[in-house]
Amino acid sequence: MAKVLEGPGMGLMKKWGINVPNYVVVTSVDELTKLGQANEWLKKSKLVVKAHEALGSRFKLGLVKVDLDFKAAEAAAKDMIGRQVGSITVTQVIVSEMIPHKEEYYCAVKSTREGSEVLVANCGGIEVESNWERVKRLCLEIGQSPSSESLEKLSKDAGFAGALAKKMAEFAVKMFACFDSEDAQYLEVNPVVLRASDGELVALDAVTLLDGDAKFRHPDWNFAFAAEFGRAYSKQETDVMAVDSKIKGSVKFIEIPGGDTAMLPAGGGASVYYSDAVVARGGKLANYAEYSGDPPDWAVEVLTEKVCSLPGIKNIIVGGAIANFTDVKKTFGGIINGFRKAKSEGKLKGVKIWVRRGGPREKEGLDAMRALKDEGFDINVFDRNTPLTDIVDKALQAK
Amino acid sequence: MSILANKDTRVVIQGGQAGVNAARRMAEFCYLIKRPLNVEAFVYPPDAGKTNEIPYGSGLIAIPVYKSIAEATKNHPTINTSLVYIGADRAMKGGMEALDDSHIKVVSMITEGVPEKDAKILGAHARKLGKVFNGPSSIGIISAGACRLGVIGGAFDNLVLSKLYREGSFGVITKSGGLSNEIIWICSQFADGITTAIGIGGDAYPGTDYVSYLEMFENDPQTKAVVIVGEMGGDLEERAAEWYGAKKRRVKLIAVVSGFCQESLPKGMKFGHAGAKEGLKGEGSARSKSDALKMAGALVPATFGALGPAIKETYQELLKSGQVKEPVEPATLSRLPKTVEEAMKADEVMVAPLIRTTISDDRGDEPCYDGYPASELINKGYEIPHVMGLLWDKRLISKQEAEIIKRIMMLSADHGPCVSGAYATILAACAGIGLSQSVAAGMIMIGPRFGGAVTDAGRFFKYAVDHKMSVDEFLGYMKKNHGPVPGIGHRVKSLRNPDKRVKELVGYVKSLKIKTPCLDFALEVEKITSVKKDNLILNVDGTMAAVLVDIGFPVDSLNGFFILSRTIGLIGHWVDQKRQDSRLIRLFDYLVNYAAPKRREVPPLK
Repeated sequence: MAKVLEGPGMGLMKKWGINVPNYVVVTSVDELTKLGQANEWLKKSKLVVKAHEALGSRFKLGLVKVDLDFKAAEAAAKDMIGRQVGSITVTQVIVSEMIPHKEEYYCAVKSTREGSEVLVANCGGIEVESNWERVKRLCLEIGQSPSSESLEKLSKDAGFAGALAKKMAEFAVKMFACFDSEDAQYLEVNPVVLRASDGELVALDAVTLLDGDAKFRHPDWNFAFAAEFGRAYSKQETDVMAVDSKIKGSVKFIEIPGGDTAMLPAGGGASVYYSDAVVARGGKLANYAEYSGDPPDWAVEVLTEKVCSLPGIKNIIVGGAIANFTDVKKTFGGIINGFRKAKSEGKLKGVKIWVRRGGPREKEGLDAMRALKDEGFDINVFDRNTPLTDIVDKALQAK
Repeated sequence: MSILANKDTRVVIQGGQAGVNAARRMAEFCYLIKRPLNVEAFVYPPDAGKTNEIPYGSGLIAIPVYKSIAEATKNHPTINTSLVYIGADRAMKGGMEALDDSHIKVVSMITEGVPEKDAKILGAHARKLGKVFNGPSSIGIISAGACRLGVIGGAFDNLVLSKLYREGSFGVITKSGGLSNEIIWICSQFADGITTAIGIGGDAYPGTDYVSYLEMFENDPQTKAVVIVGEMGGDLEERAAEWYGAKKRRVKLIAVVSGFCQESLPKGMKFGHAGAKEGLKGEGSARSKSDALKMAGALVPATFGALGPAIKETYQELLKSGQVKEPVEPATLSRLPKTVEEAMKADEVMVAPLIRTTISDDRGDEPCYDGYPASELINKGYEIPHVMGLLWDKRLISKQEAEIIKRIMMLSADHGPCVSGAYATILAACAGIGLSQSVAAGMIMIGPRFGGAVTDAGRFFKYAVDHKMSVDEFLGYMKKNHGPVPGIGHRVKSLRNPDKRVKELVGYVKSLKIKTPCLDFALEVEKITSVKKDNLILNVDGTMAAVLVDIGFPVDSLNGFFILSRTIGLIGHWVDQKRQDSRLIRLFDYLVNYAAPKRREVPPLK
């Protein structure tokens, strides 16, 4: 799943005929000033300014300002751009037109195992979150599109009447078209509002989750995906992503500040079991990492360098199950190079390394790891006869 | 017995290299269980009409490649299963093609990164047709002693260690491909091994879920218990729990779920497979799944590490109740033939070497010349002539000798475009011939009349010196046995028009005050011959030869100095013509003396 920020999300909705407020995304006040000269609406309308970053609780952080005239919007943009929130710097703001309205509604489409669901409620904003039973849903089978009649019925079930029920159904049709055509996994508009000026339904805020795997058939997805966990990706993380996008197989890396147990396991499945074991033994994860699909050794080396650079780590868990086709000797070669490099840079002082692995060329790989002892590494190497996560037990007991 | 993959499974593999690699692994398994290869065909349009060579034991089996599934099943009507190794952008089309073929009942997709929508459509299509669509992102399916689909099971040694050559009593269903081997191994160490293990793939909506396979295992009498390796996200584990709890089941269920670490991670942070995404309000969390499975009566060890003992416990119960018997291991197992390299490493074979070398070794991280690493030679100030000394005469020559060689090389690097070698190279360059062939054309000219007299000159001068001959004796000997003296005589140079190169070289060598018996003798010879005819002077070949013999180079290497040096010039001429974009040249007829018979009538053929 890939989260898309508001700006590009609204762009996709607009593409499928959904009314969205006028908006611009800018990286500087100068840009906003210039756009103000070119766009009448920026001068005429009341405006909303929001930090355009993958940040949670923007309201609380003062990164959303509403009901502004253009001057105040410029001041708000100036204030927000460059603000540091944790590891993230605000680099963009989205400035959009305020839509005067009385009523707020809710509409969403989501992917399910059986197909998809269209959700509609005749309340919106925070009201819908506390009145979830007012959300009515239409379940669709795989490959099925909703008919106008079924959506009109859904609207009526949700409490819409007359012309508004028809309008809401039309809105939902467009939502579904956008969802289906854009390989979305989740599309939520909360609130949908009735624009006072012309009585049209407008999408005020959008949550857009796309299927990153479908990027190959969407040449117009010219935006970057946002991190899904309430912060932007760090430099180290984007470095690893850049490697990941280039190689056969995969390497993954996410930092978890404040941890002391670094993870360098193989496999998307085993890596989570290793993380579970660390938590179960009272350890604190310093990161999540994973390499799989027989990646080239240099990619594993880059990953290793990132892991070794994590601050305050005491143990590194080089775990892995018995591989199917990942070459243990080769991938361990990358890890060993990474370790050597880290050591030459003065890292890994007092850090214990724990290794457990099986698979093609396991003996050669494990022997090479064992040999690191002679180079002064504090390393403990185990083979398939030691159960998968036992090295975590040993590592955390060794404290 | 087993499910899904058995002794009657016949396979078509859709895809290129990844598919071929899988077929190799499958052939290893077939060899282990002493059954013929189960791969009948490949479908890969770019290679249609060719064959893929799959090693089986010590032999090779050629498997045909077709353009389409229809073509493959028409030629191999026993095919009933397809493995899809096609890229994510074309996987849907390939999967559909396989599902729509009436011969094919099971399609397992290995491709990763398939769009969720495509996977859902494929799954729904298969259900409509009453077929099985497994995956995407599946590592494969393996039934012990019967059939392997994909790389699941790993390397040959692992197949043996995990006792996959014979059936056990445990079924395995796992989302994680990387853990499949681990579970199979655990089942073989803590119990009697597996019946069938299935990788269903780690995507959010796999084509077939746990419940469908649990249903199949329930109906397979050989399978006594099923191990599920789950992950947080989605509701597949909850559905499995629901199925298990719905009524009394014959199979025992053992399950582990990953993702407990989620509870202590910063809010919103998720990782693992694509499907490992927690839903709203904690549903799909590891805890809710694990609780649901426990409630349904499954054995749920607290950690992955406790899985082995849990499997052991179940196995002991099965033994006690008489539902399973201790397995009988086969007396002998097939052993995968080693490659020659592996066998040599294990000291199991001796191979007579084909060639022998005494000058260089490339097996380390850099070449060694006569034992000296190239980089060390560079760093200690040695130069090209020293490398020539090492490779041509297996010795480190002195600084002085190196200087002589350098000068020889510089003096004979080129001699203009008109000499045979350069002219041949230029002619070839103008005909559009490539560098190596054009230089080779020039090289071919080097022989007794052009540049190739160095070795012979050296040989005869040395002969004379070794036999303490006088100049007269030598000339007599040569006239009687060999003819003109190599190294003496020049086409254009003469006593009055001396060759500056010879003067230069002789002057330099003489200034060194070293012993030069051959050069001295050659100069004596010149004194006599040049009186007879003034162009019978010591030429550059002869001078080089005498000097090189004097500094100890073997006679057989001597032409090499000219060849190497002149190569510099020949390359220069080729590049020069190329730079000018020279056109094809041919002789003008006025440069030819046409001495052939005049035109005449051809007589009738007899």
